[in-house]
Amino acid sequence: MSLVNAERQRALVRSERQPASRLESRAVWYVFLIPSLLGILLFTVYPLIESLRLSFTKGVEERYVGGANYAEVLASETFWYAVYNTVYITTFQLLIAIPIGFLIACLINGLRRGSNFFKVLFYIPNATSMIAAATVFLAILHPDGPLNYIVQLLGFEKIVWLSQPVSAKWGAVVLSVWHWLGFVIIINLANLQAIPIEYYEASSIDGATRLQQWWWITVPNMLGSLTLLLVLGWIGGLQRFADAFMLGGLQGSPARSLHTVVGFIFERGFGGNEYGIASAASYILFFFILLFTYLNTKLLKMKI
Amino acid sequence: MFMFKKKFQALRSPLMLLLLLSFLLSACSGKEGGVSSSDSNGQAATAASGTAAGAAGEGPSGKLKVQMIGDFATEQKTDAITGITSKGVNVLKEEFERMYPGAEVEFVLMGWDNYNEKTQTMLQSGAADVYQVPGLATFVEQGLLEPLQPYIDKDSFDTSIYLNGQVDGWRAMGPEDQQPEIYSLPYIGDARLIVYDKQLFDDWGVEYLSEKPSIEEVLEKAAKMTGKNPKTGEQNYGLTYNGTDAADTVMNISESKGGQWGTGFLWKDMSLEFNSDTMIEAAELLKEANQYAPEGVLVNQGSENFLTDKNNIAIHLRAAPGFINIIETFGTQDRYQAALLFTNPELGMGGMFAGSPFAIGQNSKNKDLAWEWLKFSSSEFFQKYMWEEQRSQSMPVIKAAADWDSVKALPQMDIILKQMSQLWAPRYPYRSGQPRYILSENVQRILLGELTAKEALQRAQSESESWLKSQ
Repeated sequence: MSLVNAERQRALVRSERQPASRLESRAVWYVFLIPSLLGILLFTVYPLIESLRLSFTKGVEERYVGGANYAEVLASETFWYAVYNTVYITTFQLLIAIPIGFLIACLINGLRRGSNFFKVLFYIPNATSMIAAATVFLAILHPDGPLNYIVQLLGFEKIVWLSQPVSAKWGAVVLSVWHWLGFVIIINLANLQAIPIEYYEASSIDGATRLQQWWWITVPNMLGSLTLLLVLGWIGGLQRFADAFMLGGLQGSPARSLHTVVGFIFERGFGGNEYGIASAASYILFFFILLFTYLNTKLLKMKI
Repeated sequence: MFMFKKKFQALRSPLMLLLLLSFLLSACSGKEGGVSSSDSNGQAATAASGTAAGAAGEGPSGKLKVQMIGDFATEQKTDAITGITSKGVNVLKEEFERMYPGAEVEFVLMGWDNYNEKTQTMLQSGAADVYQVPGLATFVEQGLLEPLQPYIDKDSFDTSIYLNGQVDGWRAMGPEDQQPEIYSLPYIGDARLIVYDKQLFDDWGVEYLSEKPSIEEVLEKAAKMTGKNPKTGEQNYGLTYNGTDAADTVMNISESKGGQWGTGFLWKDMSLEFNSDTMIEAAELLKEANQYAPEGVLVNQGSENFLTDKNNIAIHLRAAPGFINIIETFGTQDRYQAALLFTNPELGMGGMFAGSPFAIGQNSKNKDLAWEWLKFSSSEFFQKYMWEEQRSQSMPVIKAAADWDSVKALPQMDIILKQMSQLWAPRYPYRSGQPRYILSENVQRILLGELTAKEALQRAQSESESWLKSQ
């Protein structure tokens, strides 16, 4: 065999083998995915299915009761009070944190020096675990704590924050705003820095003031991130547990004023071993979140 | 070289696959997670078969796995706050193995987080022989624990060595039982007590609480000690209580008026007395007590300095016996004294039963040896170890403890042991489910002034009855 022929033969073999080796190569990478896929199947998909099954059962013997658990949860005053508390705290959290976070982000974005310092300063609470933050807030919201010191400095009567239902809820609102504000600022800052500088330059040439630029250029360009924050805020807010649990205990004391939907699930599941009820409430919460997210994205015309 | 490279390329994919599979298999095999099996020298204990070990001694032998919940350690450890060094549970292992040659003890030590769920899983899989089961009733109901009466009868085991009511307090009902039976033996004692600050009583010139105070006595003295302290001038409060467990205090006051929580043990047989006249009266009395308490009492705020030398509250209606460790840490042993909870005059019981017992798993592979461990836990050796080395999480449960010098040295212990001898037995079964939370919520509504005692307790009764019907 001539050298030329031999080379042709090798080239032919290579060309035949290439697709197969590519397949092998791809297969190897899929093999690497197996641990993650197994993890998802075992720790996410299986519990989801098991929880759905449990939601149709009652008692330690897990006897089938059909939709009775769902009916019981939906007929429970405690559940609807937990829904009310959850929505109440989340609504005020979003109403306060998103506009304030946006304004602070605009101010930080306008700084020529020291912006990194303020970014870190505002983001630190968000990096802190909610458990630690809530523990600190137990001291801040203490009848003789620093918040009441400020309240009294302003000439008002001191508030026993966590001892009255309404002020306890507002204690949770203050905590959640403080904890979430850094996240709102960072998301807004990312969007602010993505607005093309040319818009501002062109408007300056046209004689627009800083306020006009903010209202007509900045705000419209921020709608995407603001709606995203609203959607994420609702999802996180409906799932809230740690802050309310830390401030109000298992039952959301006083008189269940800090009892949230996840608190309801936790109490029934782990406080009373009613896994059927807890599972049914979990699925109801899932549908709540689905509905809220759908409505938010539709109303805000958000593309996801 | 070229040939080798070519071969290697051809083998690369299968090799990587093999490597990955071996990694997965090694990850799956693992060690016995969470099981601490070491001897006193910290070396891994070798597995000994039951028959081989049994040949060495006369009594039961073999391997025994004991699950314990709490702040236990196998080896000696030092508390980061108090600096107190305590011996590990290996002390128990060594003594038990000395008593039963051929026996080998392994511990499964776990924290209090989700202990019921972990215990349930262990019981179902037969992961241990002996279990610490403070959430006993649920497991007994499922038939997961071994009834102990046959073992007690076989050995003529004398349960009167325990403080009064400690064995009865843990009675529970299995699937076939007609009445609560013994499925466990106590080994950790607990209770709630009235604790008071003698210094504040002295400052105000008020006579100390009697050993068995009535609620009226407490209210009368608390009223006298609420206001500006005549000696220090600081604001004092007459009393405090555990606000998040206010319902338990109402129940306890009701007991002193002759009331009781209700009757029955299983949900289907249970009858509650949340809206009885004594409960209404008790709730009104606690509401009256509220005016002598710090403003944050409902959420346990304002009493942080109780047991320290900066305290400004005279009486705590619901303190845990671990207060003796706290006053030792703060050096205030001479300042605080305990009094008994309110007692039902007819039944001689009062206050919620608490603590931890040991039980034998239905799936245990070595029930005879497990029973020996249960008996061992009632021995003075075991109970003294718990008292001397694990005091922060345990009180003795045997009568003999009253004669120990270390117990006699603490003036508060006399009351603590008396209190543990009069707790309500069997435990309030309504606390295992929603009635506990329903009552608690409604008692808080009374204390907040949202509802009258009658309205709130009627609401608690009807909601709880409705829940009971759905079970």
